[in-house]
Amino acid sequence: MSTAVEIDWKWLRRWREYFLVWYDESRVEDKAVEAASFMEKYVDEGILSVSGGKDSMAMLHIAAAVLRNRELAVFHWDHGAALMPRDIEEEIIENIKSVAPNAKLIVKRYSFGRDERARYDWRPWYREFFSTLKELGYRYHILGIRRDESCRRASRGRVVERRNWVEVHPIYEFTWRDTWAYIFRHSVPVPKVYFAYAKLLGWEKARLVTFFDREFEKYGSPQLDGVLMWRYRTV
Amino acid sequence: MQNLEIVFHLKTSVALGSPWISLDSLLMHVKLLDELGEKYFSLPTKVALHPEIDIPLKRWRDLYISSVSIFEPESVNMYLFSFFKRGDFPFPRGRISRGSGFFKDFYLKVIYVPALRVRFYATGEIEEVRRLAEKVSAVGKERNIGFGFVKKVEVREVENEWGLVKDGKAMRPIPVKYLKSFEDATLMPYKPPYWSKKSIDLCAVPFTRVELL
Repeated sequence: MSTAVEIDWKWLRRWREYFLVWYDESRVEDKAVEAASFMEKYVDEGILSVSGGKDSMAMLHIAAAVLRNRELAVFHWDHGAALMPRDIEEEIIENIKSVAPNAKLIVKRYSFGRDERARYDWRPWYREFFSTLKELGYRYHILGIRRDESCRRASRGRVVERRNWVEVHPIYEFTWRDTWAYIFRHSVPVPKVYFAYAKLLGWEKARLVTFFDREFEKYGSPQLDGVLMWRYRTV
Repeated sequence: MQNLEIVFHLKTSVALGSPWISLDSLLMHVKLLDELGEKYFSLPTKVALHPEIDIPLKRWRDLYISSVSIFEPESVNMYLFSFFKRGDFPFPRGRISRGSGFFKDFYLKVIYVPALRVRFYATGEIEEVRRLAEKVSAVGKERNIGFGFVKKVEVREVENEWGLVKDGKAMRPIPVKYLKSFEDATLMPYKPPYWSKKSIDLCAVPFTRVELL
């Protein structure tokens, strides 16, 4: 049984060329080195939160490539079969392991994840997610949040003090072009489903979020999932 | 019963919620509207009434001989349309902000296909199928904002029964238990009501190679 997402390779190759040019023109390499040196003082007492999306994978790659001799801890949250198809989840775990093979990978699972309820009742998820972060006990949570994602994120700052930990955003100054340029230049593995969504939505709006999730109904995401991810509607 | 080809000529693009539109569900919807009238809009939710209603299509095992949609011209691509939609909660009196906060309009996205025609194949009673098909004013999703308007409908007889299989390819989801061989299969609904979990089974994917038992 095939579950492959349809990708227009010709279109993808054209965009790859564009991002490779952007990488040199926009000095993304310098930004990546700066992000790594910024991250350096936090990694010993911190953990990199990696969703498997483009930003967190770029951040992980920067950390793994530049801070080669440091021991990295990586945290990944598995949303469960109802929200994240198993083959995409496996792809994410494989990607993380291939980018940072020596990192200590911690994967936690949402207890509702297998349940249909996970698709419409997301409040318990927040409780479970944040209590897990607290339990892990790391001082710094290193996230792949960027300034240009939203006004709310732009107002957050690069280092944010929370009640139980400190949030650190190393690639905060990256733009969406910088992130994609870094990914194409260094062949950072990201879930292939990105390319199906990017073709319709545009590269700047393509995001890896849970599928058929009613939390995103007000943004019309399940409607897109119905056409692009129809194989997973009845999972 | 005759082998039929049903072509909806479109005035506007079709918005989609899934890759295909099923003819049996479309006719079932029209038939329900026809029989129940205004009562159709006050039916209990999440209860399937469809088995009590019969549509003028031939059955093969527990599925209707009717294809999924074929959009024409074939080269047509999918595009994205973004729009705001007001939430369906009761609005309070006085001034409210629709730009932000609780009453913020939904910012929705829908995929549409700028097709000129939608073609279906089926086997059924031509006159009754024509009568029901002519009642379809629009197909697909988001018809309330102008998608999928039908200009005219053509129902004509064809030589072969193409509602299930055409040129060795499945024309609709067919449960694999009814197949000798198949190229690709996945869990999907295969009979009306398509929203019901009871309609889901492991099915051959439309437009992939199959061989009936």
